[in-house]
Amino acid sequence: MVDLARALRAIKRSIWVYHLNSGSCNACDIEVLDALTPYFDVERFGVKLVGSPRHADVILFTGPVTRESLPKVVRALRAMPRPRLLLVLGSCGVGGGIWWDTYATTGGFSKLEEILREQGVEVDRVVYVPGCPVRPEAIIYGILVLLGLAEQKVREVEVHAPGG
Amino acid sequence: MTEPVGKLIEELKNLGGKVEEVRGREIYLVASRDSLRSLAKALYSAGAYLKTCAGVDERPIQGVLSVYYIFGLDELGVDVILRVPVTEEDARVPTIVPEVPAADWCELEARDMIGVEITGRPVRRLVLPEDWPEGVYPLRKDFDYSTRPLRGFRSELPEEVGVPLGPYHPALHEPEYFELYVDGEKVVDVVYRGFHVHRGIEKLAESPRFTYKQVPFLAERICGICGFVHSSCYVMAVEKAAGIEVPERAEFIRSIVLEVERLHSHLLWLGVAAHLLGYDAGFMHAWRIREHTMVLAEYLTGSRKTYGINIIGGVRKDLNVDKLDKTLKTLATVREEFVKLAEVMLSVPQIRSRASGTGVLSRFEARALSVVGPVARASGLYRDVRKDYPYFAYREVSFKVPLYTEGDNLARLLVRVEEVLESIEIIKQLIDKLPGGPIAVESWDIPPYRRAVAAIEAPRGEDVHFIITGVGKPYRWRVRAPTYQNIPALRAMLRGAPLADAPLTIASIDPCFSCTDRVVVYDLKTGSRRTLRISGGVPPCPL
Amino acid sequence: MSLVKILEIALKTGRVTRRYPAEEPLVTPEFRGSIEVDPSKCWGCGACVKVCPPNALTLTPSGKSLVLEYFVGRCIFCGMCAEVCPAKAITVTKKFELASANLRDLRSRVVHEVLRCSVCGTPIAAEAEVRAVVKASPVSEEYAVLCPRCRKERFAKSIGLRVGAPGGGPS
Repeated sequence: MVDLARALRAIKRSIWVYHLNSGSCNACDIEVLDALTPYFDVERFGVKLVGSPRHADVILFTGPVTRESLPKVVRALRAMPRPRLLLVLGSCGVGGGIWWDTYATTGGFSKLEEILREQGVEVDRVVYVPGCPVRPEAIIYGILVLLGLAEQKVREVEVHAPGG
Repeated sequence: MTEPVGKLIEELKNLGGKVEEVRGREIYLVASRDSLRSLAKALYSAGAYLKTCAGVDERPIQGVLSVYYIFGLDELGVDVILRVPVTEEDARVPTIVPEVPAADWCELEARDMIGVEITGRPVRRLVLPEDWPEGVYPLRKDFDYSTRPLRGFRSELPEEVGVPLGPYHPALHEPEYFELYVDGEKVVDVVYRGFHVHRGIEKLAESPRFTYKQVPFLAERICGICGFVHSSCYVMAVEKAAGIEVPERAEFIRSIVLEVERLHSHLLWLGVAAHLLGYDAGFMHAWRIREHTMVLAEYLTGSRKTYGINIIGGVRKDLNVDKLDKTLKTLATVREEFVKLAEVMLSVPQIRSRASGTGVLSRFEARALSVVGPVARASGLYRDVRKDYPYFAYREVSFKVPLYTEGDNLARLLVRVEEVLESIEIIKQLIDKLPGGPIAVESWDIPPYRRAVAAIEAPRGEDVHFIITGVGKPYRWRVRAPTYQNIPALRAMLRGAPLADAPLTIASIDPCFSCTDRVVVYDLKTGSRRTLRISGGVPPCPL
Repeated sequence: MSLVKILEIALKTGRVTRRYPAEEPLVTPEFRGSIEVDPSKCWGCGACVKVCPPNALTLTPSGKSLVLEYFVGRCIFCGMCAEVCPAKAITVTKKFELASANLRDLRSRVVHEVLRCSVCGTPIAAEAEVRAVVKASPVSEEYAVLCPRCRKERFAKSIGLRVGAPGGGPS
């Protein structure tokens, strides 16, 4: 049994992240790298980039999951130890992007989740970060929300247009 | 038409080429596949570079499948576009790789995407996913852009014997797959298995849910580093095809933003190169300086990347006095800090020794493969689209094009360092000469079935867009990004070299895999993956 | 030698880190963040839907209503919707703190009442759009509440009345 709350507490000050690109244009990926550089310095939060999903606490996920990258993405996620915490970045990751319905993509992370379940790969917590590309500050905010250190600001809203 | 061009056309006519159309600096010829090889040879001997070739399903227009070969004569500033039509029943063209080695990839891509067989060479699937069904050609007009054939799920990658570098190597943050075959410490052969980033972009632009107006946003996301180049090249191609005259001020604004993009890209590369050489302090400082350009870009256009200001006929956002002031101030800061950093980096002994003499690409190899950008200029080829085929406001400014002949990693580094300084000067001149006036045309009209070729000097080299206009949206849009042209040169650079030099050499071409994996729909025959053998199944390196 | 030089540069530069979220983020006045649709201005006409490249904006009939949904998850922050909106109902904000633990919270909707033809009951368009059209143009409300078919029929009948053609006039 995966104790998510305990895991989140344990990694709060030292988050090892692995960056997984499922076929994005690289804008989000460069902003991920940018978050490590002096102006944003995400290492203040104890975030460190690791070279293998096996060492990762959190996976930073970009890209619309292209058809070609699909099996490799599943393999990389399977290699990640539980609890699997994912930060899905960008328009491509969250919603499949501007090309969400082409023959060569799968349609972003939400479609990938179904496939992961089929393949027996469980994901424990996902936080979605919209952006095109995501700003480094948005990535930092996303990490804080993932760890429960910040409140989520967006809420589903439904308003009726006033009648005549 | 000038005399040398006229003479060349006469020669091509004698070899079987018929002039279909002459539009400005573009000469369209049509020829049968039997004349193709001799025409290609003649063009190559005349000094032409192959820009790219594109397969087009022209069955709805004229009942044939056509392969367009786009040659550029840099010194004359003229493009010669050769069209070879074939019928669906007998869809084959001969390979031109023996005459023009640079045609290797684009031939395979035309085969994948519209199903034209290439005879006389070993063929393999290049662009489409491994599990794509045979006989399904995405760029054919009877294929719907959102059809997703059933997945053939492979959960295991094949056994590796070489030293695989990828698909998720910490040095390169994009999915790609290099297989290096080693003998001891020496690299004996290289196979590149990429196109993980193939998203179906070219087909998407032809789809029912897209129009001319929306494609610039699509183009901008082909690549997250040189996106503005792609959106500018697309609008330039459409404007050329439709004869739309863009106001001068818009051209200047486009040029300024293009150069700002070049700055961010080169600084990015410098940081990555430093990191690969073990000099992380250099990486941090380079990206610190780069941050100025990112913030500047956001202030000028509204977004740090994916600027979104290009529209057909001009730009969406103007540059007021405050913005121009801020630009000049930022450039002064960037220049001062960059010069200091470059000095320090070039004086670090491990950088000089590891970059000097490694990853050599000879001038002969560079020419044969039609490499572009800093890779070409570091190997003695004086090629720069801003000078050879001037576009936007580049005619109004003067700048140097750095040229080196050693062809090693250090030369490529030095070319980029000099280009940063030249870009800063170019922007200053552009701001100085910025004319007044509107920033976009009032309205435009795009007649269908017009063709145009546009090229822009991206930070990585020449980016080519070929367009055939359709009704309300492009009929065919071919994107050939610079890295697509440069990756094949890696083989020449890596073979016979120590394994330890491989990461730096690969990074030295400034690879942008997402540009390379742009949409072109291919129809690939499912060949087996030949990953273990050093010979056989892989097309012989033309060199 | 180079070590000394790089230290020099580092010392001179000092700390550049913006300690977000404790300090302000590096956002400029031009930044395009998420959009907001003003429900009191929106016509439900769908111009924004047509122009949106990733289809983040959709207009879907739902029971008796027409729903404009904005899915910020797929938004590319281009701002074209705000540019084409005839009612100026869309504003581009500077919001980028959009992280959410579920996809539902990334959606916002404006629900429009659909006007139905007063003769045959076919849905025409959002009430707000019809109201705006009536306000802005010399279309009488009598015609505006008819669907195109019924409108043509009524127009043809009124011509018939005037010329005394058979089939025209009260039957």
